[in-house]
Amino acid sequence: MAMQAPSREVADLIARCALRDRAAFRALYDRTSAKLFGVVLRILKDRSEAEEAIQEVYVKIWQRADRYVAGDTSPISWLVAVARNHALDILRARRPMADDIDVALEIPDAGPSPERAAADSQERGRIERCLSTLEPDRAEAVRGAYLDGYSYDELAQRYAVPLNTMRTWLRRSLLKLRECLTA
Amino acid sequence: MSTSDDMDGGEGRRNALVAEYVLGLLSPAEHDRVHRLIENDQALRAERDFWVSRFAALNEGYEEVPAPDRLWPGIEARAFGDTRAPVKPGFWESLLLWRSIAAGALAVAVAAIGFNLLQPRPDVSSLTTQLVAALEQEGSNVKFVALYDGTGQVRLTALSGDAVPEKDFELWAIQGGNNPISMGVIPANQRSTVSIAPEVMAGWGEGSVLAITLEPKGGSPSGVPTGPIVAKGAVQQI
Repeated sequence: MAMQAPSREVADLIARCALRDRAAFRALYDRTSAKLFGVVLRILKDRSEAEEAIQEVYVKIWQRADRYVAGDTSPISWLVAVARNHALDILRARRPMADDIDVALEIPDAGPSPERAAADSQERGRIERCLSTLEPDRAEAVRGAYLDGYSYDELAQRYAVPLNTMRTWLRRSLLKLRECLTA
Repeated sequence: MSTSDDMDGGEGRRNALVAEYVLGLLSPAEHDRVHRLIENDQALRAERDFWVSRFAALNEGYEEVPAPDRLWPGIEARAFGDTRAPVKPGFWESLLLWRSIAAGALAVAVAAIGFNLLQPRPDVSSLTTQLVAALEQEGSNVKFVALYDGTGQVRLTALSGDAVPEKDFELWAIQGGNNPISMGVIPANQRSTVSIAPEVMAGWGEGSVLAITLEPKGGSPSGVPTGPIVAKGAVQQI
């Protein structure tokens, strides 16, 4: 896969972190912390919480650097995923108990699986194209769920619809999105 | 009030559920449950990876915000504090003992290199690079010297480090930003020879890194390192 030079450098720094190279860890931090701080700040929407979170995120990156598999995702996407998931974990812990009333009770047997994820660079633009096939407010809801980590409750309030309507919207939109992305 | 009616049968519901999981829309209990299901199901993992990689294209929506400089010392203290903690009590030697061994080990390494240079070389090696790597890791007593004299094989000499019950040492080659490539399980406490596979040879040379991890008996089941690094070293020309 043809990685861009900056991407290859970040991948190299992650690999060196896996080998416990502390200078590489510092370089990785200098290189990527603004992006990852942007991620946790946008999701947590609280500066002091974000400052605490970003420290935990980099500790995780140091500890899990050996789990990064080059080629599956771009290195920066992997780092963003670590930061985003950590911020979402914090949100989940903070939220009042959500009702689990209509979650699927079991996952049915797997159907055909999607093809192995292609490199992000090839996907750039594609998700935008597919989002544009959704109704604008639903596309915005999906984007808000991803970028801001909005819950169903928050989305329902933002779009002034009942909670279950929002769930139905979102699930249908995700299935439509998947259809478009795999077409 | 089930929304399962809204889904296009089982498969659709399953795919939407994984997408909701990736977006972070599930309640904590449901998130944990789906997480466990995904971990244990190849098809669900593929579905998760699908969504993660597709949504990653939205990452450009995250603006960069410089993190305050004062955060770094906290990260350093937490990250490096952890690495100094013993992985397996009883297995690692104390740092003090390790340091005392290190001086001796270095002398052995130098002697080993010198000895190697005195050996009559096969014709092929006189035309190729002589490479050496000293493999070690702070906090670990495992120490190997690796020598390569152009014959397509790496000779490993264990200088210290005991075998761990139910575990094996596995040797990895790391070249540039590529994934570590397994070079196989190696014995503790003895000399061994490892053939360099073509995919390792392709990037082999000064700057390649050899690393040894502690893996389940027989080596990493997944083909990627799963255990702690017990020794590592960069390949250097001599």
